[in-house]
Amino acid sequence: MVMAEQLIDGRVIEACQQGDRDAFQLLFETYKDKVFSIAVYSSNGDRALADDITQQIFLKLFTAIRQFRGDSEFTTWLYRLVVNACLDERRRRRRLLPWGEVVAMKKAGERKPQEKHYARLEISEAVQAAIGELKPKFRLPILLKYIEGLSYDEIASVMGCSKGTVASRLNRGHSQLAKRLSHLNNPEVWGD
Amino acid sequence: MFLRHVTKDISAYCHGELSSDESRQFAEHVIACAKCRTKFEEVKLGIKLAEQLPRLAAPAHLWSDLEPLLEQRTTSAARPSVAWMWQSKVAAAAVLLVVAGLGAFWIYKRTSHDVQKPSWLVRRLDGAPKIGSEQISNNGRLAIGEWLETDGGSRAQIDVATIGNVDIEENSRVRLLQTRADEHRLELVRGKMSARIWAPPRLFFVDTPSAVAADYGCAYTLAVKDDGGSLLHVTSGWVAMESKDRESMVPAGASCETRPGFGPGTAYFDDASPDFRAALTKVDFEHDAAVRSVALTSVLDQARPRDTLTLWYLFKGSERKDRERLYDKLATFVPPPPGVTREGILQSDEKMTSQWLALLEPIWTNNGGGKMVPNKLADAYFKVKNGMSRRLKEMAPK
Repeated sequence: MVMAEQLIDGRVIEACQQGDRDAFQLLFETYKDKVFSIAVYSSNGDRALADDITQQIFLKLFTAIRQFRGDSEFTTWLYRLVVNACLDERRRRRRLLPWGEVVAMKKAGERKPQEKHYARLEISEAVQAAIGELKPKFRLPILLKYIEGLSYDEIASVMGCSKGTVASRLNRGHSQLAKRLSHLNNPEVWGD
Repeated sequence: MFLRHVTKDISAYCHGELSSDESRQFAEHVIACAKCRTKFEEVKLGIKLAEQLPRLAAPAHLWSDLEPLLEQRTTSAARPSVAWMWQSKVAAAAVLLVVAGLGAFWIYKRTSHDVQKPSWLVRRLDGAPKIGSEQISNNGRLAIGEWLETDGGSRAQIDVATIGNVDIEENSRVRLLQTRADEHRLELVRGKMSARIWAPPRLFFVDTPSAVAADYGCAYTLAVKDDGGSLLHVTSGWVAMESKDRESMVPAGASCETRPGFGPGTAYFDDASPDFRAALTKVDFEHDAAVRSVALTSVLDQARPRDTLTLWYLFKGSERKDRERLYDKLATFVPPPPGVTREGILQSDEKMTSQWLALLEPIWTNNGGGKMVPNKLADAYFKVKNGMSRRLKEMAPK
């Protein structure tokens, strides 16, 4: 992915701004998995909804990229677009269904008895479910950190907040994950 | 420094977002503050869990679904040059190949992390150390899975992320196994290393063929012999030597031997008599129970007050009969406080062992008036007792 991102330079972005479809496909192929991942985790695991969100993000990007002036890193600008799209979608759903989420991921720990030995994949599934239960302000910094690999400064820039706020929200997000999945705090589970 | 709790900085510390000074202050505080250490363990688990989040693959049909929608929006867009079109198609094909290849690798490995391997900075100290088959001139990078090797004339220093450094001595072979926010791990299969770590307990580990050294905020040397046995010597703080069945806590001024098939032996102070150490070796590594029993008698006969460290941890792994002998000897050096009974200790009563341990611990950590604790970290470690007391309570004989 790093190699792929390195191909997205000023020339590619300029071509995208001129409506070049091939350049845009390059951009799409580079970022589609990251954008899709954030969309999935922001829509509580609803992949069909994540498809729609991802499509909307790239459609918006296709038009909005003309407004990109290079005042910030392109990735920062892109992730801001992604985060805003995910938050907008959440607000839209809440307006439609005020009683809660459309699709709730299974709660961690409900899938199988706690006595069962978790394989790594099961841990991963439990974490995905627990991430879906976090408030967006705690969930998004975690996604930007672990899916996108952004630094605290970059996350702060995307989220429009201070680095200290990012640190604080990550701290609280990590704590909440640990509390929700405390039954996984067992070396046998991890095979350590 | 010790009054201000550091819980809000835990994630930033684990992610290497603090400066070097801030990291050191953080580590010093966490080692000494039970409250922050508890929170640190919680956040560390949260980080370990978050690291399991996989990056998901977008469905293949996404682009074909998107194209018609883009078509509707491109009517007024300017077309780029022919040269650019050709270059961008080549680039698009290249990136598709890269993405597909990396995706396959990612699925194969079933990991959730970025494909770029994390690495540590390596500095050449002497000679021509090698990373893999490449000699390093001045600096190099040691990535996960790579071996660093020194010959008879070369030495190197490794930066352990942001939490310390390790000197790799001559004729050594070491590999980076893991580096992430909640765990940094090396494997030493041959030779000798010296580690200086300023981190909260259990962030830095060294695997050897016969045991794992777990750091508790300390400085130490670790040597691995050709037969897979190793010798740990701690110069500040504490280190735990662990195997599947055994664990040995080793404080500053003490050492611990490990052997393949046995794991770690019992910690002993370096100024213990040669006869005491020879007898302890038999107790720890002899198969014959009768020989071990005779050796234990020798250990008890030659023990000094400071050797209560060894007696205390021998107690943990002993049978009832030997426990009685060890209790009686320990009690001659440091009588149990009022309310602590012989039977209570033999039954591993948690409260009683903690009370007695509180009297024993100062003997082990005051260095017996010998060597001075070499750095500020160790000073904090020993001055603020509640930090280590908690760990020692966990380690109390059961």
